[in-house]
Amino acid sequence: MSLHIFLLEIRMMARERAAWLLVALFAGALGYGIWSGAQLAIRNSEATLAASKSSKEFLVKVREHLGRPGQSLPVRNIAGFGSLALLPPAPLPGLATGQSDLVPGHENVVLWRLAAPADTRSELENPSHLLAGRFDLAFVLIWLYPLFLLAFLYDLMAGDRETGTLRLALSQGISPTGWLCRRALARALPVLGLALAATLIAGLQGDSGSYGLRLSVALTVVLVYGLFWVTLAVAINAVSGSAAGAATTLGAAWVALVLVAPTLLNLTAESLYPTPSRPELVAVGRQASREAEKRGNELLDTFYRDHPELAPPGKRADFMAQRLTVQEEVGDAVATVLEKFDTQLALQQQTVGNWRFVSPAIVAHEALTDLAGTGYWRHRAFRNQVKDFKQAISDFYTPKVHRRQPLVLADIDRMPEFIFQEEHDADWLSRVGTGLAGMLAFSAVIGAWALLSLQPRRLGLITG
Amino acid sequence: MILAIARKEFRDAWRDGRFRWAAGIILILLGVAVLMARQQAELGRAERAATAKMERDNWLNQGQKNSHSAGHYGVYVFKPVAPLAVFDRGLQPFVGNTVFLEAHRQNQAAFLPAQDATAMRRFGDLTAAACLQLLVPLLIILLTFGTLAGERESGTLRQVLSLGVDPRSLVIGKAVGLGGALGTLLLPMAGLGIYALSRIPGSDAGGDDSWLRLSLMACAYLLYLGVILAICLAVSALAPTSRSALAILLVFWAGNAVLAPRLASDFSQWMLPTPKLADFDAKVHEAISQGLDGHNPRDERLQEFRRKTLEKYGKTNVHELPFNFQGLVMLEAERMANEVYDHHFGELWNRLEAQDRVVTWAGVAAPLLGLRSASTALAGTDFTHHRHFSVAAEEHRREFVRVLNEDMMNNTKPGAHGGVAGRELWEKLPPFRYQPPTFAHAISVATPGLAVLCLWAVGGCAALFFAARRLRPS
Repeated sequence: MSLHIFLLEIRMMARERAAWLLVALFAGALGYGIWSGAQLAIRNSEATLAASKSSKEFLVKVREHLGRPGQSLPVRNIAGFGSLALLPPAPLPGLATGQSDLVPGHENVVLWRLAAPADTRSELENPSHLLAGRFDLAFVLIWLYPLFLLAFLYDLMAGDRETGTLRLALSQGISPTGWLCRRALARALPVLGLALAATLIAGLQGDSGSYGLRLSVALTVVLVYGLFWVTLAVAINAVSGSAAGAATTLGAAWVALVLVAPTLLNLTAESLYPTPSRPELVAVGRQASREAEKRGNELLDTFYRDHPELAPPGKRADFMAQRLTVQEEVGDAVATVLEKFDTQLALQQQTVGNWRFVSPAIVAHEALTDLAGTGYWRHRAFRNQVKDFKQAISDFYTPKVHRRQPLVLADIDRMPEFIFQEEHDADWLSRVGTGLAGMLAFSAVIGAWALLSLQPRRLGLITG
Repeated sequence: MILAIARKEFRDAWRDGRFRWAAGIILILLGVAVLMARQQAELGRAERAATAKMERDNWLNQGQKNSHSAGHYGVYVFKPVAPLAVFDRGLQPFVGNTVFLEAHRQNQAAFLPAQDATAMRRFGDLTAAACLQLLVPLLIILLTFGTLAGERESGTLRQVLSLGVDPRSLVIGKAVGLGGALGTLLLPMAGLGIYALSRIPGSDAGGDDSWLRLSLMACAYLLYLGVILAICLAVSALAPTSRSALAILLVFWAGNAVLAPRLASDFSQWMLPTPKLADFDAKVHEAISQGLDGHNPRDERLQEFRRKTLEKYGKTNVHELPFNFQGLVMLEAERMANEVYDHHFGELWNRLEAQDRVVTWAGVAAPLLGLRSASTALAGTDFTHHRHFSVAAEEHRREFVRVLNEDMMNNTKPGAHGGVAGRELWEKLPPFRYQPPTFAHAISVATPGLAVLCLWAVGGCAALFFAARRLRPS
């Protein structure tokens, strides 16, 4: 009987032209999302390659030069070019754009600019496009996937109740819960299946050690997120008197959970923990630099510091040493503001993390960007590791500058190299796992409400 | 008759518990959005003012140094917060707010607020504009989907028409009544808006045109909401059941509010691709390298420039010139670099504006795109306003570098790189005072968006009259 209802529902759905149209539209949206995400991943990958190519070519030239007998190079020639800190391509870039179109994935660490704010450009983007957002797979899964599910599920029972066929159907001896759940699963099946297949296809573009694990968890997230909306649709159908009423309520739930809750949460987090303004950071750095420069600053020295190529031989090292000393002072002065930046942003993220359970859309978004490797956590790890790399660069060059030592071939092998350390799987697993558990708990509460509402007495099927 | 129908619809709307609840929630969200935005704007303004003062202090007290070194020390200028960003933040989170002005280089505005935020920002901002663009249309759908279709289902439409009521009067009466109910809801919102704007410092200073802009914005939003109301009533009149009317309207809403902005952006990018950063930088670098860099004494172009200058002044050595030749070289190098920057940045910005125009005209398929374009233009938070600021900052840079290089040329020892300049010269350079674009500029940019809305208004009215003519009791 149970399988019979399931198959009957699928057969009935297959005869609806509207159902086929919806399936085609959803498949089209998923396909476009995968293609769009792949394009961005290719673009990011090309930018990364271009940056690393130029850095590698420079080092090859330096090695060639220093490989000749008796050759050395002044520190400023190498340190001025900079050392590249590169965030490798994300593990599952096709899954979610996240912050990868907004936050730079590489930074050229130049000895003279260690305390200066980093170049914030990642790629030339029309800001209007950033505002509109990307039509990537994550967008389709988080925004449209529930809408398509609800389009299939808004009239599971309410319509039958309106027309009176509900009593007839339940007179066959099946429980309302069993009947409704089977219908719901049958109707949700095409959408769930397409969403999972699309996630799998997007995941095939990935390439990292934990790739398989990440993809499996991503599939679980997509499934659980879909099941949440199925559960909600069942619950609303159980309590709604009409199909139009059920559609309105489900639409309102979608607006509240996907549209309003995330923006409200963001507004709350930003208002509770505002980051200091960047202009303030700039001004503090400049003030510190001014004070530092004033100490022992000679007019001609200043000019030669800006133009070391014009300085008379023998004075260069002094200017470089002075410049590094000033930079160190500036670094100390801005450290407090920078720390406040990181702390406030971490607190904002913590607020989002703690309150993400108010909306499964937030949980799914956080989880998908985390799994894709384009979210807050991987970019934060990159920023922190670049900070350490800057320190390593300073430790490597500064003594040579003060001792006026040129670089020789052996130094190139000892030169710090940036190698991004990916997070341990346990770290992202724990974050995504907690999110999934929260989403399941939310679904369970709604499911319990649905079960209660589906009692025959409550449905008005038993009188007296 | 129309008035009687309108009165009945108005009463029915306010008696509908769903409408009252939804309206209440939207009002609360709108209030929160406006008040938070006002608080942020006030904070932002205070911070920018304090920082600009601090930066001016840094500039004036940089000590004695060579004037060209001061050009490398440079100044930072900060973009002011547009008063109407309280209603529509537009592109503000996605464009830089700080520009470093220095010798030789035109820098782009840096520090995007969105980079200093969590990924939640990508869900969008809760602003008054977002509430009016996305949530109020949903409220209209909720209010209207069953207006005519529901009456047809319940049989009351047949009764009303059998009394001899003209279908057009019925449709117009319902539109007026529902519009009145919505207007009553929007009235406190307008009051809140006026209160918020009146408390923002600077919104009424220096012949500020914020009120004019706000008035036109209000007209644009009324037009947009009117269009949505007309479409909803037309669909409700033509749809066989209230259920199908609701389904059609929700699909229209999702297409208009969720899909259209992304698809239109992708379409404009496909039509007019943005150059890659690496290519853009390479082109600028190559063009600059064709000119003087001012710092390379072995440069052939420098030798040629030296020869021509000496010929012009009838001298044989630059040390015989009545000024410091190095200063003249710096001036010439800046002139050549500026030509390159004007060409390449001009091309890039023209491309971005053309993309935005494509998105605006894509509004003929989704009215939200037209409204967004007009709204951000009038709020002063669109790309053309950002470009205006960038150009103003660049003009300030050129003037400031010119004054410094001329000082090096005229007031330092010929042939020397060093020289003394101090506070007296630093004070000659005025602080950066940005004058935002005029109302006329905003209107010219908002016109395509407003035209799109007008087209929709005409279409909406036509649809309404068509629906009234086709109104059938069953």
